[in-house]
Amino acid sequence: MENFNSTEQLAKLSQLGKTPDERLLSLFDALRDVSSGIDLAKSITENASLLAFCTKQANALGAGQPSMLAEHILLIAINAHMQTDPQARLDCLKHGKKAAIALILAQTQTKTNRLASLRTRPALYSLSASFLLMVSVGFGLFISKTPMASNQLTEVNLTAKDASLLYAKYELMRQGTCQYPEALQIPDQDKAVYLENVVGGKLPTNLKDLAIANRYLEKVRCNFTPMLMANSTS
Amino acid sequence: MPTLRDKILATATNLFQTQGINSTGVDNIVAAAGTTKMTLYKYFRSKELLILEVLTQSQQQFQTWLNSKLDSQTQQPAEKIQRLFDCIEEWVSSPDFNGMGFIKAAAEFPNEANPVHQLSAEQSKQFRLYIRSLAGQANIKDADGLALQLSLLFEGAVQAEQMQRGSGAMQYAKKAAKILIDGSLTE
Repeated sequence: MENFNSTEQLAKLSQLGKTPDERLLSLFDALRDVSSGIDLAKSITENASLLAFCTKQANALGAGQPSMLAEHILLIAINAHMQTDPQARLDCLKHGKKAAIALILAQTQTKTNRLASLRTRPALYSLSASFLLMVSVGFGLFISKTPMASNQLTEVNLTAKDASLLYAKYELMRQGTCQYPEALQIPDQDKAVYLENVVGGKLPTNLKDLAIANRYLEKVRCNFTPMLMANSTS
Repeated sequence: MPTLRDKILATATNLFQTQGINSTGVDNIVAAAGTTKMTLYKYFRSKELLILEVLTQSQQQFQTWLNSKLDSQTQQPAEKIQRLFDCIEEWVSSPDFNGMGFIKAAAEFPNEANPVHQLSAEQSKQFRLYIRSLAGQANIKDADGLALQLSLLFEGAVQAEQMQRGSGAMQYAKKAAKILIDGSLTE
């Protein structure tokens, strides 16, 4: 039985996902297909090439500790795959994937939270409040004019104006403590965009992804007050 | 006052955890415990039975510690499951942490027919059922699913910590567990 560390298998795995998180999680989907003639070594040290592949994806995701994220996800996959009962193995792979999604979220949220911990000077209090109001109104208008359901625009690139507005929103979010919707509750087809463009804070490259990101950005709740109050007393 | 049997058991536990089970011979155990092979075999008829006893006692001690820690913090089922990984993180961060017995033993005894492997698998299952009971008490709809997710998260993080102390794996596992638990509680 061929193992996952072969160049061919890694190339196949790479093709299973379009984004780094999809490629990381595709490991669980690939392992579900037990009849495909591929196997996963029981020790992490025997999976060096696969670990390197996962670390590369975790790096591209912007994880807090990419090598650790890759290692942890691989350990979950190995433990799930070790189940001898076929049904138990399928259950473990299904729930292992959910645990891996939560881990990705935990590592990518950490990056955002670290940025959120940056403090502004007290003198910027009123400026920040004004900026918040301006961007909120501006962003609201921008969202209302964005063709949310226009899936035909997949290949259209973002204009500089779209990008700057979205970037302003990301920067604003980083000034506060934000609560994100649970990734597990988000439909699979939107998960990659959500993790990369909303949680990860990367600009979408096309209008379709922008529309999806906007939809979930609306659901992010940010609290700016405590930090500003803390600054004004420091 | 600890008996000679207790002393042999404690010595074996320490050596198995720090040096590995297969790397620790009966000679090492009797030398460290200050006893003889004859005495050791009087209490434990074979090394395998000693290993099984060490695993059983270690798991009981961990489970007792965890129960008492959680009980001392809250009596609310939903809070208990939310604090589970706080306690586990505390355990992993303690200087005495040398890994989880059943996880190490399963790796050292991969043959599924081996009694040590079988006990390790049973202990892993029992720990998952423990998490499942906490989830059930918290009225979580998919208690089985959450228990499986959390136990996979836990075992992976412990293995990562066993390979590299202070890796931070458990801190991220705790955050991931919170995401999973919060999601399950709102379902």
